[in-house]
Amino acid sequence: MEVPVKFKEMMENQSDDDDELEKISEAFICCVCRDLLYKPVVLACGHISCFWCIHKSMSGLHKSSCPICRNQYYHFPYICQKLHLLLLKVYPSAYNRRENQTLEEEKDMGYFSPQIGGPDYQLQPEQKIIKPSNASVPCFSATDSSLNPCSVRAGETPDRIAHVHSGPVHQDIGFGNLLDSRKDTAATSAPIAEDRNSNQIHCGGTCKQASVDDVLCDSCNHLLFRPIVLNCGHAFCICCIVPQTSEMLKCQVCQSPHPGDLPKVCLEFDHFLEEQFPKEYGLRREALQMKHEQFQTESPSTCSSEAGKESFHFSFSSGEEPLPWWNASSKVHIGVGCDSCGMYPIIGDRYRCKDCVEQIGYDLCKDCYTTRSKLPGRFNQQHTSEHKFEIVKSTAMHNIMLRLLRGQLQDVSAVSDALHDTSANVIPSSDNTNEDEENVADATLPSSETEANESENGRLA
Amino acid sequence: MSSSSMMMMMAAGGGGGGGGRGGGGGGGRSWPSTTSVSASGKRIQKEMTELSMDPPPDCSAGPKGDNLYHWVATLFGPPGTPYEGGIFFLDITFPSDYPFKPPKVVFKTRIYHCNVDSAGNVSLDILKDGWSPALTISKVLVALRSIFTNPDAYKPLVPGIAHLYLADRSKHDELAAEWTLRFAR
Repeated sequence: MEVPVKFKEMMENQSDDDDELEKISEAFICCVCRDLLYKPVVLACGHISCFWCIHKSMSGLHKSSCPICRNQYYHFPYICQKLHLLLLKVYPSAYNRRENQTLEEEKDMGYFSPQIGGPDYQLQPEQKIIKPSNASVPCFSATDSSLNPCSVRAGETPDRIAHVHSGPVHQDIGFGNLLDSRKDTAATSAPIAEDRNSNQIHCGGTCKQASVDDVLCDSCNHLLFRPIVLNCGHAFCICCIVPQTSEMLKCQVCQSPHPGDLPKVCLEFDHFLEEQFPKEYGLRREALQMKHEQFQTESPSTCSSEAGKESFHFSFSSGEEPLPWWNASSKVHIGVGCDSCGMYPIIGDRYRCKDCVEQIGYDLCKDCYTTRSKLPGRFNQQHTSEHKFEIVKSTAMHNIMLRLLRGQLQDVSAVSDALHDTSANVIPSSDNTNEDEENVADATLPSSETEANESENGRLA
Repeated sequence: MSSSSMMMMMAAGGGGGGGGRGGGGGGGRSWPSTTSVSASGKRIQKEMTELSMDPPPDCSAGPKGDNLYHWVATLFGPPGTPYEGGIFFLDITFPSDYPFKPPKVVFKTRIYHCNVDSAGNVSLDILKDGWSPALTISKVLVALRSIFTNPDAYKPLVPGIAHLYLADRSKHDELAAEWTLRFAR
């Protein structure tokens, strides 16, 4: 097929991007937006995606499933800070581009992702030094951006930052502006060429910038070996997490409980570590194999499609099985998520903060309300521990809707059951057609009947 | 949360038989339901680049005209099937919240196939409840090619064709080849 000339040029211009320069590893391309991961989130199945990509692909009505393996989950994990800082270091210009682009989108939406390095985000002490002056206000100008942790971290010259921020943000445009953006790219091609030179000085052989210090286990302080990322976003070696049989798994750094079973190893991250630090990684493997002879047998299997589908427990300490969302007695708060553990939608009691002014609000599930988790909000809310909560009832209207829906579903299932009965008569006989000629006539006769049924079913549905 | 947004969400969930992917969050104080046209446009652009660099076998796809959200795709009937030698045109329409909602795929060329009705609608799991934002047009085209070789007669859109396929395969193939000759050359 002939691609129109306009799009052809657009595609050619894309390769002019800084991404080309930094050769982003396939492991760090988000499966949803097909771009470099930005504010990476690691799901319990070990697959990585961007904060917004995961949030947008979650259901809000019932269980969500991983875009890659369809492993079901209820909890929206925190951003993995370790991966965030690593990507920032390895792909500074592409990551900055993603940051600007996401900020533009967030400004349009009016919702913001958590500022990593901001005062609200949980940090290890040494990282607190470089926090932005005002976390709630996204910064766009060149002067502000020099305070931005990302830009500083990237270790770039102020000139480069000025280029990035003063230049037009040509990623965030609707289709109508595509032609304009092409011109913009052409206009900025000169500065990009300059950047190319400066990049070679700053990050020639980009990946070498990452050091073992960037990818240490939060527990043993060695290079991460077969990393596991918990719901709170902290990363540990698989052997540094001791699964408790009686109690819930708790993060050793922030003490927040991890809902559900032990997560799967984040394979993309693991492969990166093995490739990047073969010597250290090898040493870790040897040391661990000597230490834990039984390690191999105990290690949970790496991600598979049916991973943990049945054994998924989402309830906190109570240990009771979650009721299905359509069950009239269960209290589902459709489209409302817990800002502490990330349960989405909240099932059971919902506590709403009365003092948070953000449009998005701040809600907690019952378990997080009783444990008073200290983790900050998911969308940069300025929530403090002095704020008061009120319990919110799942609305009566919504229960009626649920019952209606349930009734409807029963009708449909009755019809499809009836349909199934007729087709059950047809299909076995038609399976034997090659052996039995007479059955063919029998099998083709009921077809019109089933067809009628089928269309009736279609009308009902 | 307003009741109207609730209605819409229930409709989204109910349409999928309870198993479908519902919409994002609702309005009010809930978590945001966010769709950005520019994000979907960027993703479609990326797919276009990827398709031109590494196209799947025997098919092609690209924007129809000036609109990035309307594509035309062509599929060549795979050899060894009654569709061999046929060229099938498809219309692909991307929703504004792509890739969180599946693209709409419609056959423009008439085809004798139990999973494609006379209006060109396709019954393919991954274009409905089975959609995942990690899927791409390239993967959809591969899936469409696979129903050429293996029609899913147990989940048909045209039960008549499905019954003939199961009951008298040679007659079915004969008819399909005839249609291919008539409409797809």
